[in-house]
Amino acid sequence: MGTMGLALPWRARISSTLRERGTRVEPSEHLADGPNPAARDALSEDAALAAGCRSGDLHAYERLYRMHGARMKNLARNVLGNPTDADDAVQETFLKVQRGVASFRGQSSFLTWTYRILINTCYDARRSRQRKREVTNDDSEETPRLEPRAPGAHPTLRMALERALEKLTRHQRDVFLLYEVEGFRHAEIAGMLEMTETASKNTLFQAKKNLRLMLEPPRNSAAESR
Amino acid sequence: MNVACSDRERIFEDGTTAEWAALEQHAVSCPFCTEEIRGWKSLSVVAKELRGYSDSPSFWPRIERALAEEAARNAQRAKRKRWLSFLPNFSPAWQTVLAGALVLVLAISGGWLILHPRGGKVDNDKSLLKSSALKEVETAESTYELAIDKLAAEAKPQLENPATPLLANYREKLLVLDSAIAELRAQAGLNPSNAQLRYQLLAMYQEKQRTLEEVLEAKP
Repeated sequence: MGTMGLALPWRARISSTLRERGTRVEPSEHLADGPNPAARDALSEDAALAAGCRSGDLHAYERLYRMHGARMKNLARNVLGNPTDADDAVQETFLKVQRGVASFRGQSSFLTWTYRILINTCYDARRSRQRKREVTNDDSEETPRLEPRAPGAHPTLRMALERALEKLTRHQRDVFLLYEVEGFRHAEIAGMLEMTETASKNTLFQAKKNLRLMLEPPRNSAAESR
Repeated sequence: MNVACSDRERIFEDGTTAEWAALEQHAVSCPFCTEEIRGWKSLSVVAKELRGYSDSPSFWPRIERALAEEAARNAQRAKRKRWLSFLPNFSPAWQTVLAGALVLVLAISGGWLILHPRGGKVDNDKSLLKSSALKEVETAESTYELAIDKLAAEAKPQLENPATPLLANYREKLLVLDSAIAELRAQAGLNPSNAQLRYQLLAMYQEKQRTLEEVLEAKP
């Protein structure tokens, strides 16, 4: 793919939004001043969800779906490339949570554990799809077929990003999607991907560097030398 | 806080809020860093394009149905497990030992059945029964014969000197019966399992017994 011949007009297209966003550095990641009330609420909600699911209460699963179903589907869709496989992966994740919740020991948060299951399920589905493709000798596509979504503000940029993400390593792609798209904190991502927080930050850095190399037009050598 | 171009990548990777602010301050006078920061942040902006949170009304019912089916299957499995729960809980080591013992018992039983087929055993039993029955018959015969001999001994004085023609006829009849008994005994000796000969011999003894009783009753 290289840069896909796409000279991304970054400044022209998104310069107006740059100032709105700011950096993604969140105080909770750097200022460990003890748990704040919101964090305490989240913890108790997490524990309540885990307890409800463990007792087999379908309402607890529904609450989990209402709170995270859309986010889970979006993550699965970004990993798998199409909404049908994403739906299957999310459903399978709920079933795996039901099967495994009795053995959940609370070493991570229940949500972190659930997302870890989702990510593993998505990669199982990808591998299964790859094997099917090998059996049918269909080597037309190495990467998942990206089905069109509802048009956004920058459809061309989005498509370019989707294709570039497929060229990243699995961990780089996962960290980028979880941090930049789904808005998880590095501490949460570390739990989901079973890595350290520092590794998560470093992986995101490498992912963004690689994405820029693929998406941005080459710089002139004089500027590069700085 | 003062930062330089060389700090830029470290701040991109793991910078604090203060370091980011200092980098942005530095970028005001550094076009290259301005460009780098813009490019870096642009990715985060474009990443938002990959958010597409839409809810399908039929999706939760589908998941709920799958969860309910799974729960029903689990309940059935648990029921089966409960049914087996009367078995004591053994450690894996004991389970291995018990399984080994069971295999050993089955192997020995199988070997026994192969080495001692059921058909042959039945034949042997039949043979034993035959021998035992024959022995019982012979014992009963000899006891019966002894009893009849006692009767004959009692009747002997009358038969040796018959006082009446009736007693003389009884004597002739007893001689015929003794001759028939001797002949049947000789045949039974050659073929001891022949039940027909045994029945005929029994009939002769019964006739002799009745005749001797009549002789004793006819005593003057």
